[in-house]
Amino acid sequence: MFSLTNIRVGWFLAVRQIRRASLWTTSLIVFVMLLTFLNLVIVTGILVGIVQGITDQFRLLETGDVYLSALATEDYIGNSQEILSLVRSLPEAEKIAYRTIAGGTLEANYQNRTDFSEKPNSTSASITGIEPVAENKFSGLAKYVAEGEYLSPGDYDAVLLGSQFVDRYSFGEMPTLTPLKNVYPGTKIRLTVNGSTRIVTVKGILVTTANSPLALKVFMLERELAQLAGRTDQNVDEIAIKLAPGADAEAFRDLLLRSGLGEDAKVQSFLDAIPNGIAEITNTFAAIGNAIGSVGLAVAAITIFIVIFINALTRRKFIGILKGIGISGEAIEFSYVCQSLFYAIIGSGIGFAILYGFLVPYISAHPISLPISNAILVAPVPDTLIRIAILTLTTIIAGYLPARMIVRKNTLDSILGRN
Amino acid sequence: MIEAKQLVKSFKDGERETRVLKGIDIKVAQGEFVAIMGRSGAGKSTLLYQLSLLDEPSGGDVFVEGRSTRLMSQNEEIKIRLLSFGYVFQDYALLPELSALENVMLPLLMQGYAKEAARSKATAALSRVGLLPRLLNLPSQLSGGEQQRVSIARAIAHDPKVLFADEPTANLDRESSARVIGIFKELHAVGQTIIMVTHEEEYARVTGRIVKMDDGLILSDASSRA
Repeated sequence: MFSLTNIRVGWFLAVRQIRRASLWTTSLIVFVMLLTFLNLVIVTGILVGIVQGITDQFRLLETGDVYLSALATEDYIGNSQEILSLVRSLPEAEKIAYRTIAGGTLEANYQNRTDFSEKPNSTSASITGIEPVAENKFSGLAKYVAEGEYLSPGDYDAVLLGSQFVDRYSFGEMPTLTPLKNVYPGTKIRLTVNGSTRIVTVKGILVTTANSPLALKVFMLERELAQLAGRTDQNVDEIAIKLAPGADAEAFRDLLLRSGLGEDAKVQSFLDAIPNGIAEITNTFAAIGNAIGSVGLAVAAITIFIVIFINALTRRKFIGILKGIGISGEAIEFSYVCQSLFYAIIGSGIGFAILYGFLVPYISAHPISLPISNAILVAPVPDTLIRIAILTLTTIIAGYLPARMIVRKNTLDSILGRN
Repeated sequence: MIEAKQLVKSFKDGERETRVLKGIDIKVAQGEFVAIMGRSGAGKSTLLYQLSLLDEPSGGDVFVEGRSTRLMSQNEEIKIRLLSFGYVFQDYALLPELSALENVMLPLLMQGYAKEAARSKATAALSRVGLLPRLLNLPSQLSGGEQQRVSIARAIAHDPKVLFADEPTANLDRESSARVIGIFKELHAVGQTIIMVTHEEEYARVTGRIVKMDDGLILSDASSRA
């Protein structure tokens, strides 16, 4: 069918038709292809990026690249100080944060409460004890303080509240969390941990997206929390490690396990530590993105079909003449396939350059702030190449079909413009 | 060379059938220059389309070098049109986005010529019709007469056995028409078989034979010098 001669003649025709076509028409078609390509990649990329934004925040603020937590049978990481010393001695470990966690309750406005039949302005909370300098170096926690100030190493009774604990920032009540009313920096609240109560001052309020790990946390100094909880063993509940650029998380995890840390702690890479269900959410969002993208693909196919159909229809007389002078129908069809291919490749090529030259790095540096997370654009190159292949194939078919319809018409009818 | 026997062509418009050719017999020998004449609607162009295999007759048969075309496949017909025939249309029928040279090269490429060989043959053909200085011009940059000469160059570049011309001077001024007819005369002089439809007596007279038609039938078929 598409013999070498047909391909050669088809190419000869296509190159000249493209080269001498109206610049505006060509630009418009290429623009449609560009938008279709971006629609295909960006819709899915942003949807997946919403979940990725959640997991990235989790990695940035909580787990780091390698995460050590208490074994299922223990309340804390055994030999925490030895483990910290070992980790600090490894060159791959760039930033290290350690945390103590304890369950507790917070009560605000306890001094003004007169009617004890009323529901108290209190909530249960997970209290995280941190070393503020190391934690800030690790996660940049201080920059999330929207009101008040960040913790200092000398603080005694200061706490930072996650946004979900403050009703004016909260996204609503949760089963175990009731946002506190009338809480501002400087407000005194009653903190109870393990039966011990201390009046603490709200030093700052952390404002983040709803799904950020910070939203549901209350921070105070690690040594104060340990004291409040009656912990004297100097063990901690979490050690989060950020690795130096180029270091491999899985390899570092395996190194720690080979060093025997697995006996005292659960050692996980970031991927191991992703909360259950995140992968399923990612796949669901990707499927939704693909469904939306395929609508765009159909629109592009119809656009190309119409463009090629109108082009072939208006050139029907010339197609008839070409056939009349002995140019095969296949060569003419191939010329239209080449034109469709040109639009698809140029549109996708420009889209590819915009995507990886601008959009991905820009959105990565400036995530899209959404209530659910700070979304980034997830567009792995292999996935994008598959989408380009799908777009190209669709375009070729959409270009070939109308060309074939016109080429198959009676030669003389085409020449004479008869229906 | 080409022979039509009892050639019939009819068109259907709903229930109504119009017979445009009503049993034509004609034989054109190699080297002949034949003019087909007649008033509008006489069937002269329709006859040319049947003889040149651009259309299929409703009845009868066309023989090319003794071979019946009725039994030929579409591909065989395309091959004959490509290799053995050349066409000159009334409205030049050049591709607007191809230069004069490229328009002439196109059928040569289809015949399997390498690009350089096709370029060389096309240049020679354009030179023959006096268009060497306009090789790279697009049709829109050429006058009507020049476009028709490009069309002739395209038709003769591959040395066809028969050159078909459908009213080649109808859209041209007197000077351009005379030039086109002059080219045909030169081609005929070196043995080119030409079948030309025309309604102009003056140009028909330069051919060797005039076939006059009316109402789908041949009224007369005689030497133009008789």
